[in-house]
Amino acid sequence: MNIVRRLGAAAGLALAVAALGGAAHPSPKVVLVKHADFIRQTLAGATQYFVRTVDIGKQDLAAIRQKSDFTPEDPDVQFYLGQGEGGAPVGAVLFQQVDSPHGPLEVGLSFKPDGALARAMVTTATVETKPWVQQVIGTGLMDQFTGLRQGDDPRKALAGVDGKLGGMPQYMAELIATAVGRGMVLYSTLYKGSST
Amino acid sequence: MGLYSLRQADRSVKLGAVLFLLLLGYAYLFAFLMVKTWSGLTPARVAATYVPAPGMDEMHMATESHATTKPLDLGQMPDMKHTVDTNTLVQDSHIHIMIYAIVAGLLTLIILGLDWPAWWRDTVIVTAFATGALDFAGQWLMNFGLGGFAWLTLVSGWGMSLVYLIVLYATVRAVLPGRSTGGYS
Repeated sequence: MNIVRRLGAAAGLALAVAALGGAAHPSPKVVLVKHADFIRQTLAGATQYFVRTVDIGKQDLAAIRQKSDFTPEDPDVQFYLGQGEGGAPVGAVLFQQVDSPHGPLEVGLSFKPDGALARAMVTTATVETKPWVQQVIGTGLMDQFTGLRQGDDPRKALAGVDGKLGGMPQYMAELIATAVGRGMVLYSTLYKGSST
Repeated sequence: MGLYSLRQADRSVKLGAVLFLLLLGYAYLFAFLMVKTWSGLTPARVAATYVPAPGMDEMHMATESHATTKPLDLGQMPDMKHTVDTNTLVQDSHIHIMIYAIVAGLLTLIILGLDWPAWWRDTVIVTAFATGALDFAGQWLMNFGLGGFAWLTLVSGWGMSLVYLIVLYATVRAVLPGRSTGGYS
């Protein structure tokens, strides 16, 4: 019986040690595509990469609010730039996050040098939203954003998924379109006009 | 009085109590790994997870935007930092506080049968419920910008674990046949 007692004590101790420090339980984000991978994949041909951090000024903030109905939460916006041989620009990448009661959703946006949207991908979801997001991706919605330019309405792409999705996946599709729209506004306002 | 005695209880009651505690410990193992991965085990890392980043300060904002460009090594890009914003914290709170209450209630059912002095029994019961409440109190205080309360969340987690350890130890002592003072049903 001593052996049983010792085994029980050892098991209890092991479990308790594992539990120590078990404080808050954050809802984990799920990284679908790493930032570095998205930049590498969508800025094909780039041999050098740069990160441009733009501190938003009052004029640009007013312009962002005029073009859309949101105010960026972060006063700094980061663009990731790719340059090919000879320093020729390949494009720029921006990661745009939108929040929901089910956790944040992040969309990676890659822009061509002429300003057209080259690629949009959901880069981060949460444990709860990932299955809904995957349903949205399965409809081909992300491809519908390719080629959009400043002034285009990304919500028009949602017409292609009408009737194909249930309630929560449809909600995710709308959030994705919102993120794309906000990212396009930030790019058109801050990227080209920003001085280094 | 009027409480039951786990030591004298039917074997099925003892079995249920021990298996519940072992499964709870199993869950705690993954809770520990989850917290270690996503939140951290030090006050600084916990605060970095829950204290919101400085927002837009329009009063002190420059008129024009300013950009700085630096070379980037994609191989050295840091992993995205996990943060918990207000919406996520609302979501976490509505699930976890309820689960904490249920777990504390079930632990209380076991504690009632442990033949402890009333003062000690009440202390552990109150601690079982309080640690769950204080865990999220600390998270909300950090969400309001009071990063110094990271310690409250951490101490609550340790307190929760300590209550578990105490109840597990006492339960194992109570159900082992060698320590039983009464017969099995």
